[in-house]
Amino acid sequence: MITVRSVSKSFGNIEAVKNVSFNIEKGEIFGILGPNGAGKSTIVNILNTLVKPDKGDVIIDGVNIKDDGDIIKMIMGVVPQEIALYEELSAYENLMFWGGLYDIPKSELKVNINNTLEIVDLSDRKNDRIKTFSGGMKRRINIACSLLHNPKILVLDEPTVGVDPQNRNHIFEVIERLNNEGMTIIYTTHYMQEAERFCDTIAIIDVGRIIALGTLKELREISDAKDLLTFKLVDLNNETISRITSANPLIRLGSAFNTLEAECENISNEISIIVNHIQNSGGVIERIYTQGTNLESIFLKLTGKKLRD
Amino acid sequence: MLKLFKKDLKLFFHDQRSVILTFLLPVILISLFAFAYGGIGVFDGRSEPVNLLVADMDQTSSSKEIIYKIDSLEDISIVISDSVKSKELVIKGKYACALIIYKGFQDSLAAGNATPIELVYDRSREMEIGILQQNLISTLMSSTSKIIVKKSIENYLQDQFPDIDKSISDNILRTAIKDDSNTVAIKWTSIVGEKNDTKLGLIQAVAGTAILMLLFSVAGVGTSILEEKENGTINRLLYSPLKGSTILYGKMLFAFFISILQLTTMFLFAWLIFNMDLSVNIPALILMIIATAFAVSSLGIFLAAIAKTRQQAQNLSTIIILIMSAIGGSMIPLFIMPAILQKIALLSVNYWGIQGFYDVFWRILPLEAILPKILILMSIGIIMTLASIQLFKKRIIKLT
Repeated sequence: MITVRSVSKSFGNIEAVKNVSFNIEKGEIFGILGPNGAGKSTIVNILNTLVKPDKGDVIIDGVNIKDDGDIIKMIMGVVPQEIALYEELSAYENLMFWGGLYDIPKSELKVNINNTLEIVDLSDRKNDRIKTFSGGMKRRINIACSLLHNPKILVLDEPTVGVDPQNRNHIFEVIERLNNEGMTIIYTTHYMQEAERFCDTIAIIDVGRIIALGTLKELREISDAKDLLTFKLVDLNNETISRITSANPLIRLGSAFNTLEAECENISNEISIIVNHIQNSGGVIERIYTQGTNLESIFLKLTGKKLRD
Repeated sequence: MLKLFKKDLKLFFHDQRSVILTFLLPVILISLFAFAYGGIGVFDGRSEPVNLLVADMDQTSSSKEIIYKIDSLEDISIVISDSVKSKELVIKGKYACALIIYKGFQDSLAAGNATPIELVYDRSREMEIGILQQNLISTLMSSTSKIIVKKSIENYLQDQFPDIDKSISDNILRTAIKDDSNTVAIKWTSIVGEKNDTKLGLIQAVAGTAILMLLFSVAGVGTSILEEKENGTINRLLYSPLKGSTILYGKMLFAFFISILQLTTMFLFAWLIFNMDLSVNIPALILMIIATAFAVSSLGIFLAAIAKTRQQAQNLSTIIILIMSAIGGSMIPLFIMPAILQKIALLSVNYWGIQGFYDVFWRILPLEAILPKILILMSIGIIMTLASIQLFKKRIIKLT
């Protein structure tokens, strides 16, 4: 559906995107994960022809974006990072305006608006002004505005920023529903859990480069990131630490007070062994925390920094 | 209390707009007004000389002497013309007044009859006429009186004492013409605005204020494109099949429409409430409204185009609009300004707009006489539009 080959883009002296390549299959949810300023929005803007790449090619649905940007705009819906709505207009008026830009016949547009309002579960508020909506409801209308021309591809640029959990779940349900109906989805985020929840393929991007690309399983293998066990001990002193770490070199001092950490391939297989080592060395375990391998740890492993740094 | 004071002081100085409106703008306007009224610079206490058209149809030594005397006055600058053209130029607003010395002037002086001399003027330029009254009348009166007395004595001496010594006759003349008896009356004729019932002040109020307020409202429309950039809607517009230039043209069309609506509403209000006669030249009025709206709306968009942020655009608009209105005739009568400011005024939309509406309502000129001003306004609009398109492409669309 989408092929991106060796794309680069600079703004002045700043290289926003460096030699980026990836493929997105039809019906796939493709996640672009990276910290703020990593180049996610630039990639989105290149895909929807707003920004011309300095180098490389982008083929969408068989069309090179350099050849016919207008076709791309008709098959792609973009949900911008900002709530790009007119606050003084009602939800319906906003949808009429944004949908009207795609030259959809009025009768068809009205049907599309009603369907879309039903998808985002805001039919009952359609005549209310946007300024009276909560942040989460605005985000849902923000998505609805990009669906009116029935795009084959939907690009969501950090659609859940500042959204409460309830509205976030609403948005996730909308995305999953659209994907189940066959829509290809590109999803940029810096929230790990979101990418983990529904992205089939994830591109981890940092300072304009894709540093890892694949399914969550593949990324785990690429990064060699492991599950993490954290033990909170009672009265952890140097002598005890020394005895425990001697008994099992995988165990190390934790970052929090009175804690020890151990990385393992498989928590369920290894937890009992590690617990025995600690207890046999005189350690008194107060609490155990487990953390499976996730994108946060993969990103940390790959870049040496936390995603929100 | 002191903490609140410090906090507000810090916020105030962080707010660029507040600082500009509080300090910079008043300083600029004070400087401008002081310069205009002659309070600063090389001003020596006098206004710029008033240009006086003079048509000498008598072409005698007496008429030439009068013209020479007037020309020697520092506050009046003579421009020689003929009587028809002089009247035409006053009616068109090119000059405030014209002095016409009709044929028979010298003979009338010699005969002691009322002299055929007339000053035709534009009532709307009363301050220039005031300067003329101070200088012209006294010069004219004393000069003509002296000529009359001199001629009478010369004639008498020539009849009675044909062989008198020249030094004695000159002495007699010098002594006699010390007495300045005002025997000549100039006919003052207002030739502009006499055919309509609309009061001059009303035209100034409507045209001047309308253009000033229009500039502010259109600048607001212009800045809305920066607002769209800031809140992300312009990006969404660009995600759609719309072209960047289409977005700009859409904004311009809206600004143009609002300008026409605002100007029309103001003139209709003046008609309904103050009985301003709008029917004097409807085609010219419509064209003037369209041309002014186009020039002003383009300027409003241009002001937004040269700014990077909405805040910057608002600050810039406030400063430029007030300065342009001050030098363009919305706040200060043009003729009292130094010559350099009068020339700069030609660059302002206010000047051409106000003068155009004066042509329609006060001078009641035919459409073809108003067309040059309409064309200038349209040209301002076209130049501003082209510049805005380039700037927007560079600053707004490519930087999204």
